[in-house]
Order: sequence, then C-alpha cells, then structure tokens
Amino acid sequence: MSFIVRQISRTADGREIIRPRTFDQPQLSVGRDPSCDIHLPDLAVTLHHALVRETRPGHIEVSASAGLPFDVDGRSTEQAEIDTARGGHIRIGGHLLTVSRGEGDEAGATIIAVERVAAISDASDAKDEQKVFSLAAVAPGKRIMAWTLALLVLLLCLVWPIWSFYSNDQADAGVDRAKAFHADEMWSSGKLSLVHAKLENNCKACHLQPGVAVTDDSCTACHSKVHDHADPRRLAAAMGRPPLGRQFQLAVSNAFNRPPGRCADCHIEHQGRGAMPAAPQKFCADCHADLSKRLPDTKILNASDFGRPQGHPQFRPAIMTRPGPNPTVQRLSLDARPLEDNGLKFPHDVHLSTTNGVARMARTLGDRYGFGKALVCANCHVPDSTGTRFQPVSMEKNCQMCHDLAFDKVGDTYRTLRHGDPKQVAADLRAFYRSTGPARPISLGSMRRRPGDFVAERALVDYEQAAARYGGRAEVAIHAVFSPGGACFDCHEISRIGPDDYRVVPVRLPQRYMMKGWFDHKAHETESCESCHTARTSASASDVLLPKIETCQRCHGGEDARKAVPSSCAMCHDYHMSATAPLMARDARTRGRTPDRPYPPAISGAGGGTPSAG
Amino acid sequence: MATRGAQQLRRAGASQHESFLRHAGYRWLKVALVVSFVAILIYGFHHPSPRPGGGTWYGYVLGTIGALLILWLTMLGLRKRAMTTGAWSLKAWTSAHVYLGLALVVIGTLHTGFQFGWNVHTLAYVLMMLVIISGIYGITAYSVLPRALSDNRGETTQLQMLESLRNLDRQLHDAAQPLDHRFAAMVRMSLDDDPFGGSLLTRLSGRYPDCGTRAAQAAIREVTGHRPAIGVDPLEKVDVLLERKEAALSRIRQHLRLKALLEVWLYIHVPLTFALIAALTAHIVSVFFYWG
Repeated sequence: MSFIVRQISRTADGREIIRPRTFDQPQLSVGRDPSCDIHLPDLAVTLHHALVRETRPGHIEVSASAGLPFDVDGRSTEQAEIDTARGGHIRIGGHLLTVSRGEGDEAGATIIAVERVAAISDASDAKDEQKVFSLAAVAPGKRIMAWTLALLVLLLCLVWPIWSFYSNDQADAGVDRAKAFHADEMWSSGKLSLVHAKLENNCKACHLQPGVAVTDDSCTACHSKVHDHADPRRLAAAMGRPPLGRQFQLAVSNAFNRPPGRCADCHIEHQGRGAMPAAPQKFCADCHADLSKRLPDTKILNASDFGRPQGHPQFRPAIMTRPGPNPTVQRLSLDARPLEDNGLKFPHDVHLSTTNGVARMARTLGDRYGFGKALVCANCHVPDSTGTRFQPVSMEKNCQMCHDLAFDKVGDTYRTLRHGDPKQVAADLRAFYRSTGPARPISLGSMRRRPGDFVAERALVDYEQAAARYGGRAEVAIHAVFSPGGACFDCHEISRIGPDDYRVVPVRLPQRYMMKGWFDHKAHETESCESCHTARTSASASDVLLPKIETCQRCHGGEDARKAVPSSCAMCHDYHMSATAPLMARDARTRGRTPDRPYPPAISGAGGGTPSAG
Repeated sequence: MATRGAQQLRRAGASQHESFLRHAGYRWLKVALVVSFVAILIYGFHHPSPRPGGGTWYGYVLGTIGALLILWLTMLGLRKRAMTTGAWSLKAWTSAHVYLGLALVVIGTLHTGFQFGWNVHTLAYVLMMLVIISGIYGITAYSVLPRALSDNRGETTQLQMLESLRNLDRQLHDAAQPLDHRFAAMVRMSLDDDPFGGSLLTRLSGRYPDCGTRAAQAAIREVTGHRPAIGVDPLEKVDVLLERKEAALSRIRQHLRLKALLEVWLYIHVPLTFALIAALTAHIVSVFFYWG
C-alpha cells in the first residue's frame, strides 16, 4: 500500500525533470496548500481539493474534499474509482494526474505522475507574436475577402444578367416582358426616354444580339412610317467629306462594329426619363450652313443659326397669288413684299377701328356675341383645339351677325340669301319678285271702294300697274347684289359669265403659311397679336400680315444665343418632317405634363409624307 | 545632441530617408496634376450630344485610360514583393501608385459625365471611389500613426511587451497561491483573460469593457477596501500586481489599437480592389454586350 508520486516539470528547452516521492500511507491529499501530499500550485485548484485512497488492491478512489469536481478520463465527477492496472487520468485545474500500477521494483505501488498541462495564464500560452499583434487575428483574411467579393460581383453583375438575356423568350416572341426585375436591367446606363419607358425591362426589344450595336431594324419594327430626311445619295453628297478627327472616329466606330448612319446615332437613348432630346443645331448646320456648295441644284437656302446675320433666310411663306378653283400658291420671301389674293375683300383696319360704324355695331351686338367696345382679333380668330393655329374663319360663324343676307320677312321669320351659292341667290330673288307684289298701299283698305273715291281709284290703278310689272324688277335686284354696293360684291370677287350668271371666286383662307417650319401660337400666348401682326393698319386683304424674321429675332436667337429664347433648328423644323409638331415643340408642350400629349405620338402619326395644311 | 546628429546625417546625405510621397521632388504628383488638369480642360471644351458620359469619344478615351490605370495600380500588390532601387524602384512605383491613383478620381468622374444610377456602371465607380478613399486614409495613417505607435511603445518590442505580461501573470499566480478558492477565482479572471481578445471594433476603439484584470481588481478591492494595509495580506500584493498588469495591458491595447488603425484600410483597399476589377469587367462586358 504505497503511492509513488512523480512530479514532472519541463525545462525551457522541453526536457523533462521528474521528481519522484514515495508515500507509504493509505491516502493522499491533493490541493494547492503546500501541506498537501500532492501539491498543485494552481489557482484553479482549491487548497484541499481531493483525497486519493486505496480501496482494495489495485483500485484507488478519488473523492472531492471541498465539493468541487474534477475530471476523470474526461468526465467531471466528485468521486471515482480507478483500476490502477487499467490506469486513468485525473484532471484537476491545469494539472493532469496520470494513474498507473507500478511494475518491477515498484510492483504493488500506485504510481501517480503529476504534470502541469495548461499555462498559468492566457498570455502565457504559446502565441505567434506577429499574428496576435496584427489585425489578422481578429479580421477575416484579405485574400478570402477579395476573392469572395470579386466572385460575388461577377456572379451578380455579369453571370446573372447574361443568363437573364438568354432566358428572355418574350422579346423573341414579340410580347411584352413581365413587369418584374430582370437582372440585365442592372446594365442599363440610364432610364429610357418617356416614349420608350415601356421597354425599360425588356433590353432585348432593342439589343437583339450580344455584341451587335442596335440596328435600324429594332426601330423600324415599331416606327414603320418614318421616312428618310432626303434621298440617301443626296444626303451623302450634302454631308461631304468629314474632317480628319471625325474620319478617325468613324473608323474606330466601324472597327468596333458600330456602323454610322443608324437611327441610334442621333436618337441616343438611356439619357434619363423625360422627352428624347432633340438634335442639336450643329447636327443640322453641318450640312445646311453651306448646302449650296455641295448641292448646287438645291432649292433649300443655306441656314446655320437663327440668330446670326445671314444665318437663316427670310421667311418664305406659301402665299396664294391667284385665287379660284385652281389657285396659284407660291413660296415668296417676305422681303419681296408679296401680295396675297385669296379671293376675299377684307380690310382689317376698318374692322378693328374703335370709332367707326363697325365699332358701333359691335357695341350693339356685344351682349349677344360677346363683343367689347370694338372688335378685337379674338372675336374672329379662335384658337383650334391644340392652340397651335386657329379655327377657320367662316361667313356663318364670324361675318353673318353683321353682314346680314336677309331680304324678306315673313311673319317674324327672316329669309336670307344662301351664302356660297350664287345661282341659288339669283333663283331666290327671282322667286321673291315673282310671288309677291309690291307692298299694298294702306289707303286701299279693302277691295270695295265707294263710288266717287277717285284718289283711291288712282292708287289702285297705280298699284295694279306696278304689280303687273313687278316680276321684271328681279333682274335689277340680282344685278345689284353682285355689283359694287351689293351684298356679295362688297366681300367677294365677282365675274359675270352671262346676262343672268354670276360667279363668285371661291375664298381660301390659308390655315398655315409656314409649310416647312412650325409656329405654335399657344407658345406665344404671352405676346399680344399686334406685337407681330400689323393688322390694325392693314387696309387690304392682300397685305401679308406675317411678321418677318427680324420680329422673331427680337426674342429668338441661335442655340447658343444669349437671347430670351435660345432656339436651335429643332424648335421649328423636324428632321423627319411630318404633319405633327417638331420634336422640340412637342417636348416643350409636354414638359411637366407627362402622359397627356397634345399631338398624336410619333409612332402612329409620324412619317405621313408631306405635311398637310391645317 | 540628437539634433546635431541629425544635422550631420543630413549633411552626409547618403542615408537620409525620403518618403515615397516626396519621391524625386514630387515627380508623380506633378504628373498626376498635369494629367488631371488636361483631362478637365478637354472636358470643359468638349460639348458632346446630348450630354457628356461614357458613351462619347472622350468618354471612351477616359474609360480606357481609367481601366488600364486601375489594372496597373493593382499591380503594386505584386510589385511590392520585389524590392528594387533605381528609377523604377519600389519607392518610385509606390509614389506613382499614390498620385496616379488620386488622378483616377478625376479621370473616373469625368468618364461618368456625372451620370449616376442604380446600375453596374455606378457600382464600379463607387467601388473605385471607396478604394481610393481607403487609400487616402492609408496614406494619412502611414504619415501620422507610426510616430504615435513609437511614442506608445517606448523602447520596448512587441515580444518584450508580451514577456512583461507573462512575468506579471507568473507573479500574480505565485502571489495568489495562499488565497482561498474565492480569491483565487478572482485572480483567475485576470489570468484567463485573453489580452488579444475582442472583436475588430474593440481593437479599433481600444475600449475593453469586459477586461478581466479590471474586474478582478474591482472584486478584490471590494473586499480589501475597508481593511488597513498592514503589508502582510497576500491580497495586497495581488492588488499591486493587478494594477501593474493593467498598466501593461493599457499600453499593449493602445499599441493594438494604433496597429489596427494602421492596418485596417488594407482590409478595405485590397478586397474592394478585387471587387472593383470584377465590377469593371461586368461594366465593360455589359457595354459591349448591349452595344448602343
């Protein structure tokens, strides 16, 4: 019954030092107290931690003295029996007690090897100095972060969008793509313009093939009616040879599979929600500034900048110089003081006077027709639904309230001559004289007369003679109506074909003078009519009351002008000219009012060929 | 004396230290300034339609220069592993890395034409800017912190700091031997505490609210506070040792904090550079894939 306790310690270089001590006693005390048989200088061990006792030969029992557990073969316990033949490990605090049975000289003894296995403090543990002092100890590795992030970005921003492109069957089938997030939208460099906003989530609608620049086919799939600016050959001739820098640019573009001359060259998308920007002035001026040099036979005058002297030719409105069923309409420069003949005789000055009979008439009829103290422009010229131009002026709406064509009264109903139909006028007058006699003198009373009433008899004879000749006076009346001082002649040009056949030259008031440009009256609401149109002093309908370019130039300058309204070409002209307003005018109108478009969208209305009047 | 020594050194010239920022009389700073100025000048005179951006000829030129520059700047990671001298020395390379990297702010921003959005293109730009900003932080840290680090360290090395801590632990351990289990447990709070523990934020802030040593000292002082100090109580010795340990720890923690501030930017700069190159790849591929 003996214990051999071997205290094992290590030198700095790792060599073992064993200090054996033999105890011939039935039990050993274990603890931090120096008086203990097995002294463990370990703060995790209590002063008297455990007792080791031999229960029977070859078996020892370990029990806690202070109620604090210890580990036996890895199991925490307060009491355990160990077969010394099989051996065992007791762990108390940072110390390991290895139990075994003595052999040879030590046969019969229980051997307990005691060794400190844990460092006395955390700091005393073996530490890699470089590592613990650096951030690497607490931060994730740079390399692993780098590769993870890079891989993540590649997967999210490259692989996913490419997958999204190839899985987009809707575009191939020509149907709208589902409204949802599609990964290739991550590649969009900016919002699409308003008109194309619907295509926002369907990249393939325009970008048909990877690596191939957007082709015109993508555009014409919807814009089927847009026509070319001009014959492509003349267009090429007008462009001439580009400067060296531009030539190099074109060569690079070509080399990168981006051929020039595509729709997308000018119609640059992904520039943000809003209207598609109009082409800049330089885009037009590159060819049109000196077009006559490269296209000697062109009828188009050179233009480069609206504000500069010689930068834009004088306006050449379409003016009717000969009225009639087949009128002559010519483009004439306002500088040539052209005279218009649209078949109407109309002095603006008389109608706008504030002192004459017209003004008096206006005051008389004011309550009924909304006139003021005198007539103003707006009494006859009423804007059309878009406000761009005016509703046609017509006899019925605008003249008839004063220029009455009544010629007879039946009861309280007035009979009027039929406007626009000279034959009907003649027939109505003739019928009037045929069916009615002259007004019967009131003195005649009834047909009975008293004998000897000679005055009445004379009157009756005169009346009956007049009534007998009455129908023949129709000729005179008809002639009077179509002659100076007559109801028709005052406003119209009359030609007499036969003795009883008068023709009125048809009146065609132009709805639009500037057929090649665009003028929006609505945009000029802040101006008075007289500031541009000198109607108040115009005594004849032949005066062309359009302002000259100089009037416009008071406010409008070129694109870069420091005037109130810098105006590039696109403000009045369209590259793909159509019946609708130019792009920039449309944009100006729609600004701030997104979906409500004053004009039909270009997609359905554009490309109708030549613009039509009105 | 020290001043005189420094003057002598300066006169001798040979071993005088020149930082990479001042390299060759700020050569690369000048290059970067000229490049930036020219880029801004061209941008000012360039009026593309409808507006400036990466899709104009100048945008493509700036984009190409920027992308190549980013790749070259990244090469410093490889280049720094081979220290050489001369005109193309590592120092010259680092100097160019810093100043051309700063010029990239101008080149990259002008390339965007100030068009930003929630897309891969702006992602690449933002990553680039983050990398550059972290780099600027790095330069600042390198010029300010080493002095503070050296002041804090005194003459000791890291190993010496660690060794003094271990010594204190040993003394604490020995001094606590006679204590009963309750007090021993208090001392163990200090011994078992990992002086290098704590999160990244703890390192950067230098605040250790759960410090075991401080807790151990507080617990012991609660017991000894009202007793007279007569010099035989082992707890008093422990108390003194804990106080010394706390002083040593605070120096180590300040050292750790300064080192963390000195190193942390690289944990942004390097990984984000790789993310940037990935985003740049996606940016370039997307442009050619959806060719406008």
